[in-house]
Amino acid sequence: MAKARAIIKRLKAVRNVRKITRTMELVATARFKKAMDRATQAAAYTRKISEIVADLSNTMDEGSSSFTHPLLQQRDTEKKSILLVITSNRGLCGGYNGGVLRHAQTRIRQTKADQIPLDIEVSGKRGIGFFKFQKIETTSSYTHFEDKPTFDEVDVLAKRYIDLFVRGEIDRLDVSYTKFETMSRQKAVIETLLPIGKLTSAEPASSKPKVEYDFLPTPKEILEEIVPASFKARLFKCFLDAAVSEQIARMVAMKSATDNADDMIRSIRAQYNRARQSQITSELSEIIGGAAALE
Amino acid sequence: MASGDKLRLIVVTPERTLLDEPVSALRFPLYDGDIGILPGRIPLIGRLGAGELRIKAPTGDTSYFIDGGFVQVIGSNVTLLTNRAIPAKELSAADAEKQLTEVLARVAKTDEETATKFADQQRARKMLALAQRSHS
Repeated sequence: MAKARAIIKRLKAVRNVRKITRTMELVATARFKKAMDRATQAAAYTRKISEIVADLSNTMDEGSSSFTHPLLQQRDTEKKSILLVITSNRGLCGGYNGGVLRHAQTRIRQTKADQIPLDIEVSGKRGIGFFKFQKIETTSSYTHFEDKPTFDEVDVLAKRYIDLFVRGEIDRLDVSYTKFETMSRQKAVIETLLPIGKLTSAEPASSKPKVEYDFLPTPKEILEEIVPASFKARLFKCFLDAAVSEQIARMVAMKSATDNADDMIRSIRAQYNRARQSQITSELSEIIGGAAALE
Repeated sequence: MASGDKLRLIVVTPERTLLDEPVSALRFPLYDGDIGILPGRIPLIGRLGAGELRIKAPTGDTSYFIDGGFVQVIGSNVTLLTNRAIPAKELSAADAEKQLTEVLARVAKTDEETATKFADQQRARKMLALAQRSHS
């Protein structure tokens, strides 16, 4: 009897876990949809900015005055750099944080080997905990970027980075985050955001008919303004991508957890049935044995 | 909306596309003063200032407060890229006033600080003016 009851107890525990993971999966799905909507809406801004930049650089090429901006300059020697690591605040999302942190560590090791001072900034409790455990010092940490990062929040960070970079206090800014590629593919990557390598994406510029624009003020001055704006948009996109990827990672992790729980429930059920059957059999044979002994 | 007497206005902020609708005329601030856009304008790329975006549409006039950014006019499409766009009705005069006093209280030491202070001051004044106008 005792054994069957123990199995029942386990069965109930697994069922409870399944209920929790199933709920978390649904919550993640709902959040993912919201995050995805935000990301697609934000994409319009980035697309438009690069369109204007492409138009501008087309005109600039003709004027042959090569354009330089402090944010575009590659520095010969790297004296100091910043690494921003974007992780989640919550766990239970599979390999999401692990992937990002692994990339971050490679970068940290590399700068150590090159003997470049590196400031590490972390967003998300998971990352903060990780670096504390590894005894790696971080200069600042943020926990307010949840699954809905707003542009104003990111703007504060972006402004500080631009300031530091222009003043020459940092020579490079890397961001380690999970890039959203498609619904079924997200990749942990490390990207160099400052200096901005190339403003225009590698799309063919000649596909569109050329338009003669009226520029107010000059193209140069507009480019000067648009470079920081484009950097901000990129940084914002990193945060949005990270938010979307986190929800997908959690969805997938919770889905497999639920499936696992289902499998476990099935096998425990089978075990329980077998235990109950054998108990009945043994009881029956005891009764028959007892009756036979009486005759 | 490729007809000759209509404009299509698209207002994009970093977070979302705020507006995408046909309009008949527009007025908004550039870096050095207001500009009006009517259908048939030649292509334009410009830098925006802070101030009021006034939209004339068949359904009625509306106005927004916009805060810097860029504009692209191409054909009948007008695209405004701005960091913030707040409907004038949602502006609060008290908030704007608070901002203005904050800016005025700031001490600017370097040239750079003076410039940002001046820009912030202008922005707060415009916001305040618009807020008061839209609520009166």
